[in-house]
Amino acid sequence: MSEEESFRRRRSIFDLIDEYFESLEAWAERVRETFFERPSWNCRTCTIEPLRDIMVTSDEVIVTVDLPYAEQNTIQVKQVSKDTIEISAKMRRKVSFDDFGITHHRGEFQRFHCRTKIPVPVYMDRMEIRFKRGILEIRLPRKHEYEIPIE
Amino acid sequence: MILYLPQGFYPLLNKSFEEDEKLNDEIKIIERKKEIPKGAVMIFGFPDVGLVGVIAASHLISELGLDEVAYIESQLLPPITVLHEGLPHSPIRIFGNHNILLAVSETALPGELIYPIMHALIDWARSKEVKMMISISGIPVQDRQDLEELKVFAAASNPEMLKMAQDKGVEILREGYMVGPQAVMLQYCATLGLPALTLLAQCFLQYPDPEAAAKVLEHLASFTGVKVDVSKLLEKGEEIRLKARDLMKRTQQELAKMRKTQEYDIPLYIT
Repeated sequence: MSEEESFRRRRSIFDLIDEYFESLEAWAERVRETFFERPSWNCRTCTIEPLRDIMVTSDEVIVTVDLPYAEQNTIQVKQVSKDTIEISAKMRRKVSFDDFGITHHRGEFQRFHCRTKIPVPVYMDRMEIRFKRGILEIRLPRKHEYEIPIE
Repeated sequence: MILYLPQGFYPLLNKSFEEDEKLNDEIKIIERKKEIPKGAVMIFGFPDVGLVGVIAASHLISELGLDEVAYIESQLLPPITVLHEGLPHSPIRIFGNHNILLAVSETALPGELIYPIMHALIDWARSKEVKMMISISGIPVQDRQDLEELKVFAAASNPEMLKMAQDKGVEILREGYMVGPQAVMLQYCATLGLPALTLLAQCFLQYPDPEAAAKVLEHLASFTGVKVDVSKLLEKGEEIRLKARDLMKRTQQELAKMRKTQEYDIPLYIT
């Protein structure tokens, strides 16, 4: 009986409440993460979403996209809105789930497609594109709207 | 303030306490083969930047024809199993032959489990009297696209291993931070006095890098004494990059939680 009493004394009601709220926050974080998760392939449009990375430097934004098997002359970079660009490319060969040994999904893919939001204002019409070793690099010069003078 | 409540008052809360006490927080390594050779070299290939460790490890397994000798079972791991030919396998497995033991993970390791997993693996390796532990990973460089020749760096758990690495033509990582399973391995092996080495090849931060894996395998051959042909790895480079996409995405999420970018930081010099 004394063990039970000391056990309850270790966990007072405030600790219980704190633990409860902490676990609630952790759960909310996990739900938020899974809300945006989707498989990286799309059977209906036969596309795969490639890996991408955005780096913001002081004068430009560099977007890199990993495009294995892409044909260089089919790569298209389009501006969808003032802060979103869309990248699509055709693959040299069709890739199907069978190539990976997966037999419970059916589908063939031949295109890459992804959309990226650029977090800062840029000049979209001055975009420079470079494709080297299967990695597409897009450089966009940044738009500095106004400068705050230092007094 | 002491609050005494009868046992059945908060049934849900009480139940969770009891379950917590019974939760098995062990990492068990279950051996599949009866005889595991002693005196081998243990290699760790876990998902990290550029997936260098995993790509190199899976190439080693297919080239050398390594068999599965053990696997990790633990309730701390997320409920994941890998299916190969319809049968379930643990995501973290150990392969081996008479002179190499190779620990590979097919899923990104959650940050909070790295300590228990690495400690369990190293304790197990010690019981098998391994003569050296080598961890394969990558070091991210920003202008990797423009690099023609990739360098391999090393860090070790004692000065003798450092000297050996230098003699074999690998540059030493003198100052800096290291984040991830290889960091825990070096620290634990240094504490236990076991010879350990980390081989890091320059690679992409966010994309799988088979060329870096090929480079690190070339240097690994001089430590294990087993030469591996990397031409197939370079030929199938694009296919590997395509296949490894999803694992890279999961690894990126775990690396962000582990704050992997601290490796870029310049350390404050305290000797």
